[in-house]
Amino acid sequence: MLAQLSRVLRGNRELSTLLFCVALSIVCLSLPPGAKEFVSSVLSGTILGPVQRLSTAIVQRGRVQEENAALRRIAIELMTERSALVDYRYENERLRELVGFLVAFPKEELAEMIPARVTAMPGGRVVESMKIDKGHWDRLEPDMPVVVPSGLVGKIASIFEDESLIEPLTSASSGVSVMTERGRVRGVVKPRFGGGSRRGTCEIAYVQARSDVREGDLVVTSGLGGVYPAGITVGRVVGAVEGPLTMSIEVEFAVDFSTVEQVFVLTGRTGVPGEMDELRKRLLMELNSERAALEGRP
Amino acid sequence: MRTGRFAALAIAAVILDSAVAPEIEILGARPDFLVLLVAYGALVLGARPATIGGFILGLIVDAEHPEYLGLHALSLSVIGFASAAAWEHLVRGSLFVQICVLFGAALLHDLIYYLVYYRNHLDMFARFFVRFGLIGAAYTAAFAVVIYILAQARTWRAIVGGTRV
Repeated sequence: MLAQLSRVLRGNRELSTLLFCVALSIVCLSLPPGAKEFVSSVLSGTILGPVQRLSTAIVQRGRVQEENAALRRIAIELMTERSALVDYRYENERLRELVGFLVAFPKEELAEMIPARVTAMPGGRVVESMKIDKGHWDRLEPDMPVVVPSGLVGKIASIFEDESLIEPLTSASSGVSVMTERGRVRGVVKPRFGGGSRRGTCEIAYVQARSDVREGDLVVTSGLGGVYPAGITVGRVVGAVEGPLTMSIEVEFAVDFSTVEQVFVLTGRTGVPGEMDELRKRLLMELNSERAALEGRP
Repeated sequence: MRTGRFAALAIAAVILDSAVAPEIEILGARPDFLVLLVAYGALVLGARPATIGGFILGLIVDAEHPEYLGLHALSLSVIGFASAAAWEHLVRGSLFVQICVLFGAALLHDLIYYLVYYRNHLDMFARFFVRFGLIGAAYTAAFAVVIYILAQARTWRAIVGGTRV
């Protein structure tokens, strides 16, 4: 029987190789744990270890690339979010300023103010006109003054159904009757072009020579002419050129026209009785409570 | 020369098995690149080199799990021999035959592996063999298509050298 098997194996080298390998495998499987550990450690150290290290490096490289791509995506999302938050912050600051303006506006005038957003600002370096998102449907009319917390912007020039065009003080056709707050010197302010100021400058021409005008004097609307109510800030005196009979006063606008985003239109009408008062009261309360919270008061 | 190529491909197969296979897992089943190598090694090199190659490759892989040292060696050497026997009697150039041989080789490998691994829990053996063995074998066999395409593109000869017909 064994001789027969031996003959068969000798004649079939493939089968004998297989039987040899199978036998060796069974021997390996039957080895005591200590011997298995030894053989494994030898094989791991010499062959499997380097291959596995290579394999791990490949896997990690792939993972690092994936992680990198994910981090890039997150970075882009965060940058977008941050940009939106910065916009919100600035909008918040602007709205706070506007709320403060609304509260501080002289109560006795009870003027109706319609807030509007600037939607377009055609023109180059000099702001020639502005478009706002309120129009006829909001009961706006031509020549209504437009203001911001820092001062006068201009007046409404054209009205459409749901938008209007403002003629700002920087427009070449603009002219506003003003006076200096301290010396009560009157004149008509006209824009000047080519000035170095970012806000833009204007000029009060043909003022009587030796009038009481000093640098830094506040220039406000005089109320003459019937378009602008008196007392709205226009700018500050930055210089004066004295002539033999007249003097020319240079004024820097209080408003930076290129950055205006939100405006108020003074309708000239008295607000709905009680409505403006209520609004002012509510805003004032909110502001006071916010201020108290900031100062740590109960 | 052929042995050197086989060794290089063996290293590649071990790397693919540990680095790529887990990434392309389907329903918990992975393609077995070692079986793929041994089965095609049998086609190219013949029964004896495939059996010995399968044994050595299996023993190296077994070093990862000392408790079952010899188990992969056993199954892969049997695969080498069985595949060579199958190639001997079948039309090697047919894609269908290649798929069938690979499927059978992968199934046989899992049969031996799970049988020894779960020798004391035959219910577990049946569950794992059906759950992972069958899908894994089909998945491995699907790679025959890739290799067939490579061979058709005449890359096969560049990779493994001339076949032993």
